[in-house]
Amino acid sequence: MKTKEDFPEINARRPDGLKPEGTPYRVLIVDDSMFVAKQLNQILTSEGYQVVATAGDGLEGYEKYKELYPNLDVVTMDITMPKMDGLSALQKIMEFDKNAKVIMISALGKQDLVKQALVAGAKNYIVKPLDRKKVLERFLSVVGK
Amino acid sequence: MRVEYINPFVESAFNVLKEVLQGEVKRGELYLKSTSIPVMGVAAIVGLAGDVEGRVLFDMDKPTALKVASVMNGEELKVMDELVKATITELANMITAQAVTKLHELGFKFDLTPPAIFTGENMEVSDQDVEALIVPMETAQGKLEINVAIRERG
Repeated sequence: MKTKEDFPEINARRPDGLKPEGTPYRVLIVDDSMFVAKQLNQILTSEGYQVVATAGDGLEGYEKYKELYPNLDVVTMDITMPKMDGLSALQKIMEFDKNAKVIMISALGKQDLVKQALVAGAKNYIVKPLDRKKVLERFLSVVGK
Repeated sequence: MRVEYINPFVESAFNVLKEVLQGEVKRGELYLKSTSIPVMGVAAIVGLAGDVEGRVLFDMDKPTALKVASVMNGEELKVMDELVKATITELANMITAQAVTKLHELGFKFDLTPPAIFTGENMEVSDQDVEALIVPMETAQGKLEINVAIRERG
């Protein structure tokens, strides 16, 4: 009888959400929309990423970042949010940790806004609507594989 | 109201609806209203502020809202809960933001406010001193109306 070991796993692919040593990249989602947070969570978890926390505004996002640091790999940051917008939260996070990997996610794709975010230290910028492919590609380019 | 303001909304509503609902979208005839307009039952509103000011209202009936939210979430949603409201709000946000991005490229500078959603029976909306332009959209999930009222800041 053939066992599993008889078949080399030629199609096996390591999920992009896993680090080379096999543990998942840890993600913080900052978004005031329950729908977007859920959608991101589903996309990321399906590829092996681990969503460790969600924050509903920029201020909460900044505070959660400090709380979780250094056990955190990527942050997704909405822009239009109550209390503190995503650009301000991005700046705060970058001041706290200059190596932070923050991906902006917004329905706004205005060039100067994108530029402003990238200049402030964002590693990537995703314009909504979100789809699985778009999100995973940008994540992959940020976690650097 | 200048037509330059409207086209980007029509275009982005068409594009976003097509993308998130993965189906055919048909645009109905635009019409202008300057008096009170009935609201179908679920209305998400996004404010605009900058060189121009105003608001965009996305209006649909409850069964349509549930169907649209179900498609966008990939699961059947039967009650008007927080997730359904967040989904419709996000739809309004995406359409408005894409239109604002286009208008920005055309040289109009303004921002949008975080969206809000209203649900209820027998609601109506009135805009004083601002004409509202209605853009009806037909989808497989039902009819949506995009009601845009914008004026230049003076």
